[in-house]
Amino acid sequence: MISGAHAAAAWLRRLAEHVAVALLAVMFLAFMCQIVFRYVFGWPTGWAFELSMICWLYVVLWGAAFVVREADEIRFDIVYSLLPAGVRRLGAALAGLVLILLYGLSFPAVIDYVAFLKVERTTYLRIRFDWLYAIFPVFALAVIARYAWLVRRGLLGGKATAPDQAGQ
Amino acid sequence: MNLTSPFALALWTIAGLSLLGLPIGHAMIAGSVLYLFLAGLDPSTAAEQLLNGLYNSWVLLAVPLFLLSAELMNVGSMSDRLLRFCNALVGRFRGGLAHVNIVQSVIFAGMSGSAIADLAGTGRVMIDMMTRDGKYTRSYAAATTAVSAVIGPIIPPSIPMVLFALVSDASIGFLFMGGLIPGLLMAASQMAMNAIIAKRRNFPVEPPIPWREWPRITAEAFPALMMPVILLGGIYSGITTPTEAAAVAAAYAFLISAWLYRSVSPAQAYDSLLSAARSTASIGMLIAGALVFNYVVTVEKIPAVVRDLLAGYELSRFGFWIAVNLILLVLGCLLEGSTILLVIVPILIPTAKALGIDMVHFGVVVVFNVMIGLVTPPYGLLLFIASGISDTPLRPIVRDAMPFVWAMIVALIVITFVPDTVLWLPRLLGYQG
Repeated sequence: MISGAHAAAAWLRRLAEHVAVALLAVMFLAFMCQIVFRYVFGWPTGWAFELSMICWLYVVLWGAAFVVREADEIRFDIVYSLLPAGVRRLGAALAGLVLILLYGLSFPAVIDYVAFLKVERTTYLRIRFDWLYAIFPVFALAVIARYAWLVRRGLLGGKATAPDQAGQ
Repeated sequence: MNLTSPFALALWTIAGLSLLGLPIGHAMIAGSVLYLFLAGLDPSTAAEQLLNGLYNSWVLLAVPLFLLSAELMNVGSMSDRLLRFCNALVGRFRGGLAHVNIVQSVIFAGMSGSAIADLAGTGRVMIDMMTRDGKYTRSYAAATTAVSAVIGPIIPPSIPMVLFALVSDASIGFLFMGGLIPGLLMAASQMAMNAIIAKRRNFPVEPPIPWREWPRITAEAFPALMMPVILLGGIYSGITTPTEAAAVAAAYAFLISAWLYRSVSPAQAYDSLLSAARSTASIGMLIAGALVFNYVVTVEKIPAVVRDLLAGYELSRFGFWIAVNLILLVLGCLLEGSTILLVIVPILIPTAKALGIDMVHFGVVVVFNVMIGLVTPPYGLLLFIASGISDTPLRPIVRDAMPFVWAMIVALIVITFVPDTVLWLPRLLGYQG
């Protein structure tokens, strides 16, 4: 059962990585299209530019939610790394709780804000902004879930790897 | 300042969460959300600032593109060919391989905008090469590799300068141009220091490469050597914007690695994209946090408060420069570079403007300074990475890196107080500042 859950987690992680790679590749290709179309053919390229901006936004938020490993994240760890393991775990749990609380409390307002944007569309691709910005609530929920897991680990002890590092 | 005002509480929260090991981007978002609640503002403003800030800042597209091109260059055999070329160039001098290390970084700097990518890319090869047959100690090899990687973001292209452009509205093209001479000055200061140390420690020289080998070595490295020319030529001739040049660079790196050198497999291309996506997301989160926090800072009018405070001291331009350089050097020992550029520097910009300091000059000096911070203990990111890839403890690396840090500080003083070292080239090419 546990190995099944691990396999599912590994599969989901790979899927998330495929998505991030696809987003970055599309961003790059759209940008190249824009350059070629504009300079070689003189065609208007607003759509390609917009597509690359959308991919950039999504690479950051999708990546931060599902792909970035703990070791990749930029943090201030001089003091943290000097603390004894027990204190560090409790500290991380406390920080995680504060983060969950603040992301959680602002979540309803975020949903309202994103839903409100249904009246607006992007300039070229005519994508509704509530769809486009829906990545933010997804990101916020993923962060909350991730830190809930880390808090649980901090309080209960256990392996020193995050779920996203478990298979590596 | 009132220590229990919403802004102060937000600052305490950010500092506390960061100290407890939360990623700085998340800490800034959480602290800013707290501020919004306490100040009675709409808490969704954080999401709004983050989303609109990321979606509307097209200059930021250069960040993932530069990261991608560095990844692609590192996968191919481009770096090896460059190394052979640099060895032919400067290997014959005393301490030759350390000189090779520095010159290689200069050329690499012309293609990549990230010091970490430079170090991760060629660091291991360079360290292995230097320590083979016990020619150099591992710590000296690791130190020169870490220190020379600092040149990367000063010679254009440069991700830190893109970040400075974002917070200051200075022109990226002119910032890039302004970085060229300071980058070469930094390399010269490092080579001078290496020459002194090499003489004192009697480092070896490499056998000179026979002249008949030169055409082959140069031809092999030629496509790689053309990369900075294409990149910078595109930007300065006005054919491409810096962001477009970043995309062209990535495409060029891919084409010559995949087709000309035949050294990139689909799996490697995938890994490069994934690695670039990961770095993009982690830098992107920091940028996102800074966008949200900078909104709070703007609402609180902090830059103006700092400007008025400093005006009260009747700070001269000279005094301001000294203060800025000292503050940034100290912060550089403690904080990661992008954090300083995105959070601290915006607070200093209005004062710099009020004192009539040119923004391109200010930007280049600030980036130069912050990059030195990447190799100063205790928090020198490049030192950690060099320690990791060389399997050497941090302490001897720090000891061997420190003379280079002093040499770079001398170069920093020169570019700070002789603005022409920065501004001559941009002005030559039409900068009006």
